[in-house]
Amino acid sequence: MTWLIVILATGTMLVLAVFMTYVLGWANRTFHVEVDPRIDAVNEALPGANCSGCGYVGCNEYAEAVVAGEVPIDKCTVGGVSCAAALAKILGVELDRSWPYRPVVHCGATYEDRLGRNDYRGEHTCTAANVVAGVQGCTYSCLGFEDCVGACEFDAIHMVEGLAVVDYQKCVGCGACERICPRHIITMVPFKKERMLAVTCCNKDFGKDVKAVCKVGCIGCKACGRASKLFGFEDDNVPVLDYEKYDPEQMDELQVALEKCPQKRLLVVGKPSERDLAATAGEEVGEILQPDFKTTVDDTKWHG
Amino acid sequence: MEYLGELILIAVGAAIINNFVLYSFVGICPFIGVSRRVDTAFGMGCAVTFVITIAALLSWTFTYYILRPGAPLTAWVWHLVNPDAKGAVDLTILSYIVYIFVIASSVQLVEMYVRKFFPPLYKSFGVFLPLITTNCAILFACLEIMKHVAGASDPSKVWDLGRSLTLAIFGGVGFTIAIVIMAGIRQDLDNCDVPKALRGAGITLIVAGILSLAFMGFAGVNTQLVVLMGGAK
Repeated sequence: MTWLIVILATGTMLVLAVFMTYVLGWANRTFHVEVDPRIDAVNEALPGANCSGCGYVGCNEYAEAVVAGEVPIDKCTVGGVSCAAALAKILGVELDRSWPYRPVVHCGATYEDRLGRNDYRGEHTCTAANVVAGVQGCTYSCLGFEDCVGACEFDAIHMVEGLAVVDYQKCVGCGACERICPRHIITMVPFKKERMLAVTCCNKDFGKDVKAVCKVGCIGCKACGRASKLFGFEDDNVPVLDYEKYDPEQMDELQVALEKCPQKRLLVVGKPSERDLAATAGEEVGEILQPDFKTTVDDTKWHG
Repeated sequence: MEYLGELILIAVGAAIINNFVLYSFVGICPFIGVSRRVDTAFGMGCAVTFVITIAALLSWTFTYYILRPGAPLTAWVWHLVNPDAKGAVDLTILSYIVYIFVIASSVQLVEMYVRKFFPPLYKSFGVFLPLITTNCAILFACLEIMKHVAGASDPSKVWDLGRSLTLAIFGGVGFTIAIVIMAGIRQDLDNCDVPKALRGAGITLIVAGILSLAFMGFAGVNTQLVVLMGGAK
């Protein structure tokens, strides 16, 4: 009896297996959807992390868009240059020099520089504080509640005196901070060199209004625009650096703009280059001038 | 009318009182994993309902005709082999493996079919289908149905296809209700100041526990429903 049950059970499973194999095999052929083989190949080359850093839901969606030619092939931040090169090989297109994207914080005001700050006792997240009026005077600047710090998986962004500062040594350019910032003051910039020029203010108001809320904000004098064509003003007062044309090797023209800027809002950010380190090796001043507490009188100005 | 009343009881029982996730604690992985945003949670709920229905349909068929003690198809084969055998053959030992097998292959089949003929539908919840092929909520529904088909001592109490499908569909609806509530709470949690030690999985599990306690409050609704429908027992 037991043996017969075993045989019957085995027989049932065998029949089921053969039946299902045939049904699935038949279905596979009948319901076959013609997919561009390149999509599969692109899928293989992508990291498959489905992080949606490229702006698509998953790697598959991005692969479809790439093969359809809707998006550039270098949008995958996780895969980086090697991934873009692999995609270029599959699709048979020339890969332009693709730059690593890194975040730039378009605000340079610490707690001290931001005026009109009030005691805020709500939820300590930027998302919540951004909804409330009057947390601080400037409605464009960094709020300092560390949403971006929490979003960063790589411990590459920190709050320094209430201002988000990117640690470019650790940053991999995933763009999580850019996506989470409720005020959109972080943007991803193609880093053509280790050190890049950035406009560290995004207040769109004019002169007096800016002065009322910030000690260091861009007053919209447009001096930089007159000195260099790389600065555009899209109907606003705050300059936008054209990173497409910007060449870090040719800084002569930009040097004038840097010197003309009365608020010193044009800053070079990123890892210190070898040459900079060598040049400042003998000096004690760094890129950011910290107050020197050795003397009782503090006359150092914060330069960013 | 009596049959309809039973269906209503099964439906309310599966969807709310004995909610799959919050009462029986099955299907926790998608419940925690895909409940970040309400729209994806709803998509997941719909996909689970869809798959559960198909799985229930197939597993009922297999249980009723092959697996249960005295199933007609098995009995027929049994008599071919052994004409003067007595007693019914019981193949319920195969239930788990047959269900997993049937669920996995039928989901594959459905995925191919949907991909070919309903591309928009495939786009909207195609990504969820492979995730839930061997989900425990679906296997749980099949086993629950088996309990009532193979385990019933009285032949008149053996569940037919209608009751099984009711359990499956409303079990899926209950899953959708649970996961959508959870996603709504988690979306609001993003704006809350959660203590650092509880951030992430910790607070999610606490919320799930409280939600489960709240759903325990539905216990006893079924007896009241019986009274309301006039069938005092």
